[in-house]
Amino acid sequence: MELFLLLELPFVMAVVIFIVPQDGLRKNFLFLTSFLHVFAIISLWQRPHDLQFNSFLGFDALSRLILSFISILFFVVSIYLIGFLKEKRKRSNRIFIGCLLCLLAAMTLVTMSRHMGLLWIAIASTTLLSAPLIHYYRTAQSIEAVWKYLLISSLGIALGLLGTLFLAISAAPIQTIFLEDILSHADVLSPSWLKLSVIFLLVGYGTKMGLAPMHTWKPDTYGEAPAPVGALMSGSLTGCAFLAVFRVAQICFHAHLQEFVSPVLILLGILSLGAAAIFILGQKDFNRMLGYSSVEHMGILVLGLGLGGGAIWASLFHAVNNAFAKGLIFLVSGNLYRSYRSKRIENIQGVIHRLPATGIFLILGFMAITGFPPFGIFYSELLILKEAITDRRYMVAVFYLLFLSVIFFGYAKIILGMALGKPPDQARQDTRKENFFMIMPLVILVIILIFTGIFVPDSLYHLIDDASSLLGGR
Amino acid sequence: MWLELALISIVFLGIVILGNNRLGTMIQLFALQSLVLSATPLLVYPGRHAVVMAIVTIILKVFLMPSLLFWAIRHVAIRREAQPLIGYGTTLLLGGFLMGVVFLISSNLDLPVQETSNLLVPSAFSMVMIGFLLLISRFQAITQVIGYLVMENGIFLFALLLLENTPLLVEMGILLDIFVAVLVMGIVVNHINQEFGSASTINLTNLKD
Repeated sequence: MELFLLLELPFVMAVVIFIVPQDGLRKNFLFLTSFLHVFAIISLWQRPHDLQFNSFLGFDALSRLILSFISILFFVVSIYLIGFLKEKRKRSNRIFIGCLLCLLAAMTLVTMSRHMGLLWIAIASTTLLSAPLIHYYRTAQSIEAVWKYLLISSLGIALGLLGTLFLAISAAPIQTIFLEDILSHADVLSPSWLKLSVIFLLVGYGTKMGLAPMHTWKPDTYGEAPAPVGALMSGSLTGCAFLAVFRVAQICFHAHLQEFVSPVLILLGILSLGAAAIFILGQKDFNRMLGYSSVEHMGILVLGLGLGGGAIWASLFHAVNNAFAKGLIFLVSGNLYRSYRSKRIENIQGVIHRLPATGIFLILGFMAITGFPPFGIFYSELLILKEAITDRRYMVAVFYLLFLSVIFFGYAKIILGMALGKPPDQARQDTRKENFFMIMPLVILVIILIFTGIFVPDSLYHLIDDASSLLGGR
Repeated sequence: MWLELALISIVFLGIVILGNNRLGTMIQLFALQSLVLSATPLLVYPGRHAVVMAIVTIILKVFLMPSLLFWAIRHVAIRREAQPLIGYGTTLLLGGFLMGVVFLISSNLDLPVQETSNLLVPSAFSMVMIGFLLLISRFQAITQVIGYLVMENGIFLFALLLLENTPLLVEMGILLDIFVAVLVMGIVVNHINQEFGSASTINLTNLKD
């Protein structure tokens, strides 16, 4: 029953939506499907952590954790979409909603796949299904963003496929690349082919995740995507790619290759933080800045994986909080674009005077993504720093702190200026009131952030514990 | 013997694609290369699995993908590469050099699986390299898609080593994904042409910091 609700229902609904003639009805189908998806996830929480449906599909603690936040974020975004899609447009929303539903099914498949080839297929299809979503406003810039996204991601994904084949070559003695078999027979894998495969897989899935130096598509894509799509991409899709990178690290851990993979992950992490720090300073476009912010947080995630030990727990905790924080700030950016009709920071001033509620959420979102103390990201960033210091990787700790403070400074200057500055006068007459569907999702996301970040519930705590033990975390 | 012949013609067609500048001819050459490619599973492991692979490859790569690409450029006026980033002579030399390197490396590779022909791995990697070169050195969007497809053909060749161990379901999924990729790319090329009046990615420079 759960398997049907999670995997097949979104797909069936996408077909139904192609037949349904009214735009309004399609939105309700989208909302209903995402609601049932969350419902299935909640019922799944009552079951044991490891659940195998068949040899290709199954759950472990990691997939359950990541699928949970993907599903909840999708549900919140689907509430936002009810208001967002109300705006009058000439074209029907058939393809947009169809792609969204298929994307949900594909992301579910990513988390559930227990075969490295199936994982690749699912990740590649998330790329293809998200590309049409970016081209929502049909401008010259958005088509450029789509092209760059498609080309760079496809190239990365092709390298990932080569990596998967190399993995299969190294697994020649066991003749299969089912995750269970690889993990339990990790000793017989050929080490040289495994190393080659790990490099290709990390480059491939790292491109999808947006790690520097393969991050160049990210600011362009996030800059042009409509806000709800940006929220899904930076929250859920990156979570899928993170899961793939985690699987690669998991194979390395079982094959005793940590000494090989850790430095690579740490290097990718520090490079991403550095790239984000350089480009966030003096950024002129709000959504591009969020793209770089995503590069930063992906860097922190792999840095945590690379450091190992307690940092793995921190990294997973960070992934959960990052998804909701990114969702929050992207939906805020959607409200801002609706009212100011611009993404340029210089045009978006005095938010708190013009859109009081959105202004408050802008500041809350700023606090959440930079890791201000009440929010969970503060805790995970601190834990990663602690792990770097106790591990005696002082250079890593120094660069980490340096880049984080530069990024914090960059955010503070931009966002506080936007929130508290003087509103532009000539746009006064265009002011539209905020409506229920614009504010409600933000309220839900802040409540979730407080819930997952401050009063970490026991079940979440244990789930992250179990997931980090897959990589030998505490 | 037949397998070697097929591999050599695949590599040869790859080089011809690299040296060509007419979009229509390139698509036809790609279709021809895929036709030869579709025969290789039968030559490596004759059996039901290989027959299915060959049929699906012919349908997708020889008929559907090339017709999609032709559809995408039906309104495109300039059907040749005007100014490649790297000249044709240089690209060909570079391609030849990369192939030499690939052959050198592949001869030293230690494969834990049984090879049916010692040309298989080097020709697979040569195709990946040629595709990559096409992808980065040309501005026409269609040429970049063809580069991606040539790369995928190389990966397909490499996957022949593992044909017996891979579930058919996974193989079909991979082929379907590549087909959808070409579908989406074709539609985007069409949009680029509508927006800019040409399918050259040289116009796509608005987004930067």
